[in-house]
Amino acid sequence: MKQYGLVIDQEACWGCKTCEVACKQENGAADGIKLIYVSEDGPRMVDGEPYFVFRVNVCRHCDDPPCADACPEEAITKREDGIVVMDYEQCTGCQLCIEACPYNAITFDPDKGVAQKCNLCHHRVDKGLLPACADNICLAHCIFFGDPEEISQTLDPLTP
Amino acid sequence: MPEFVSSNIAKEMEIYGYDSVVKSHCRMCHGGCGVLIYLKDGKVAKIAGDPDCPINHGTLCSKGLASAQLAYHPDRLTTPVRRIGPKASGKWERISWDEALDTIAERILRYKEEFGAESIVPGYGTGRENEAVIYRFANLLGTPNVLTAGHFCYGPRIATSILTCGTNPIVDYENHPKCIMVWGNNLVISNPDCYKGEPFSVSLDKGAKLIAVDPRLTRIAARSDVWLPLRPGTDTALALGMLNVIVNEELYDREFVENHVHGWKPFVERVNEYPLNKVEKITWVPAEKIREAARLFATTRPAAIQWGVAIEQQVNCADNNRALMALMGLTGNIDIPGGQMLFSPPKIRNVGQFGAHKMLSKEQAKKRLGGERFRLGGNFAIINPKCVWDAILEEKPYPVKMLFLISSNPVMTRGNAREVYRALEKVEFMAVSDFFLTPTAELADIVLPAATWLEMDYIGDFWKRHGHILPRRKAISVGECRSDHEMLNDLAHRVGQGEYWWDTFEGGLDYILEPMGISWRDFKKMDFIRGDVTYQKYKEKGFSTPTGKFELYSTLLEKWGYDPLPRFREAPESPVSTPELYKDYPYILITGRRLPGFFHSENRQVPWLRELHREPVVEIHPETAEKEGIKEGDWILIESPRGKVRQRAKFFAGMDPRIVSAEHAWWFPEKRDPGHGWDESNINILTDNAYESCDPAMGATHVRTLLCKIYPEKTEGDNS
Ligand code: SF4
Ligand code: SF4
Ligand code: SF4
Repeated sequence: MKQYGLVIDQEACWGCKTCEVACKQENGAADGIKLIYVSEDGPRMVDGEPYFVFRVNVCRHCDDPPCADACPEEAITKREDGIVVMDYEQCTGCQLCIEACPYNAITFDPDKGVAQKCNLCHHRVDKGLLPACADNICLAHCIFFGDPEEISQTLDPLTP
Repeated sequence: MPEFVSSNIAKEMEIYGYDSVVKSHCRMCHGGCGVLIYLKDGKVAKIAGDPDCPINHGTLCSKGLASAQLAYHPDRLTTPVRRIGPKASGKWERISWDEALDTIAERILRYKEEFGAESIVPGYGTGRENEAVIYRFANLLGTPNVLTAGHFCYGPRIATSILTCGTNPIVDYENHPKCIMVWGNNLVISNPDCYKGEPFSVSLDKGAKLIAVDPRLTRIAARSDVWLPLRPGTDTALALGMLNVIVNEELYDREFVENHVHGWKPFVERVNEYPLNKVEKITWVPAEKIREAARLFATTRPAAIQWGVAIEQQVNCADNNRALMALMGLTGNIDIPGGQMLFSPPKIRNVGQFGAHKMLSKEQAKKRLGGERFRLGGNFAIINPKCVWDAILEEKPYPVKMLFLISSNPVMTRGNAREVYRALEKVEFMAVSDFFLTPTAELADIVLPAATWLEMDYIGDFWKRHGHILPRRKAISVGECRSDHEMLNDLAHRVGQGEYWWDTFEGGLDYILEPMGISWRDFKKMDFIRGDVTYQKYKEKGFSTPTGKFELYSTLLEKWGYDPLPRFREAPESPVSTPELYKDYPYILITGRRLPGFFHSENRQVPWLRELHREPVVEIHPETAEKEGIKEGDWILIESPRGKVRQRAKFFAGMDPRIVSAEHAWWFPEKRDPGHGWDESNINILTDNAYESCDPAMGATHVRTLLCKIYPEKTEGDNS
């Protein structure tokens, strides 16, 4: 089956944070909760050269997701198309998934008492629409949606 | 299997059940991006970029996406209000539009009668596409005084480029420059003036070489081939150093120099005053780096300079711009594909014509505040703001009795904020048009509720120089809010200017479009109109300057009594010009780096945008922080000879440890008292606006580099 995921060309990102707001507009996460967020790496010297990049962090939809294993309620499942979906109805707020995720991709919403993460806009994807952050909003055109392996192949020649 | 098409409008409509979609043109900053506004039950349900728009190609920024949160904000002013307590008491009552406009009109007529039209000063902030109507209103009223940001933002680019080559040279990203020199600009965050970050980003992906001139290591600088981290405020010296290399290594375009420039000989003499060893000393940039950048820029064709406001908010404002234009010209990059285009606008009535500048009598024009002193600014109908504050406070050379500020928050955004505040406290009558009760509006007598871009019809990018116009189409109404254009059209009738205005402002839109033989109704059906694109027009027609040449040597500046050639001036406050002061204020403060989400003093109350950046942040080099006993995240005080403010310390190793970088225009709408914390973190409490520190020709206030000291804020119970 065709696999879905987000691939982000971190080198191309300008740190404008438009993707953060596009995700807010679509998913309405509460103030302070970000399903996708942009952080800074640097400035520092690397091999005598100044180094400063942005890092866009979002759920990686892992092959063998440790968050799903950690969840006692089986609220997190990996679909056949690769999307790791967290079902907020089933989440009891134990936060074990947050500890298990190696990528800091899950946040706890204290008001709702549930964990939150990027579900790859599966409500859009299932209807044939692109995830909000990947829908041509990014000025760097660096957020790609589709089969991660295929995308990485097309990206490779660009990354030296 | 789902198919994926970017911005699939039909499917979005179907799946989300939207009622309609309106194509429009965003104006959360100066404007520029094509947008799709999806509506449901008469309200904005979603905003997306318009993939067909030639400006942004479907991409947007955070501000555009959050527009509906601005429009529907609970704090938004939705009716006119009148102040019923003392200034800044926060006591207001609702009034009708008729009452508000009649009161304003009555004041205008009274002051004009008693003190002359020049005692009434309308104004705006950064260009919000209302400038042409405001100038029209002012010129027909007979006041030569329009208070804008034009003295230190974009106005200088227009004025100096008209002097030098006839119009503002715009980077032609459509044809992909092979070398881009970004000079003090972070366009991927700010999307400034005639530019959006997207086409720049695409040109880089296509392989353009990149040179970055910036004291800070922005991501643009980090990605560049050559980064020139100059000492803040030394841009003209750096540019003259590069010109020195290009002239002496004969890297310039011979044909262009031989046939199309004016003043070559004196220009060469001038650049020879800036050998690289001297320039290195002034700028802190190693001579070899300057040489490398100059060679790369001059030998890669086409090449372009991406410039912006930072170099204009300095004592060297006009000369910074002129030196950069000399670089564009000498390298033969003017008006060529992928270079720096002199775009022709569509054949409409332009901002100058619509602004009715010819209707202002010579006699009134002569009274322009500061016009004698700042003759470049004055000739472009631009005034230095201190002239207005002085005319209010000292009544010299004549009293200013009334301000009418339309989308402007000068208490936050002009130099020497305490003086601005005093002037606004004293002025006899002030009207404001804005979205919220800002710290400036809290000092007004009447505040009018302004419409956002979602609530108006207009000709987007009317004032820009990239050669496009795009329809902005009204999608919603909010309360009784009115666009500044409709509001002034109405007010104009009440002060006796009716014959030059229209029944509704749609008539004004028709008037702008009339020379093209179309009306607003026709234009509304189009996506955009673009002027003719032709290259190297100067080969046939010459440049639109007094000599018909590209004026390296400006005959107009000479006529107005200025140095006709660019030269470097040391900043009014610096380690070099004020070494004594530097002992007490041992850091160079730079102000106003750009942040996602905010547009100067705007959007601090918009939840999705404030969430991107919650507090004012001052960047300090880790070594400096250690020396000053500052820890990451501390609230610290930044102090200049004029005052002190607090911002939160963040370590930033990407600049010289002698530099401190603060943010500008911070106020706190969430503070409910009428001051809204206007003087807590406002960097303009620290800046100076003395006439001597301004650009002598343009009158630009020097707010970007000054001297400061920094120290941790004492918290309660801390006796150290
Ligand atoms: S929208 Fe694109 S460039 Fe902007 S922060 Fe997100 S990934 Fe980076
Ligand atoms: S939440 Fe974390 S662990 Fe789970 S799939 Fe996403 S990245 Fe992997
Ligand atoms: S895929 Fe959807 S939920 Fe995930 S980060 Fe992008 S916009 Fe947010």
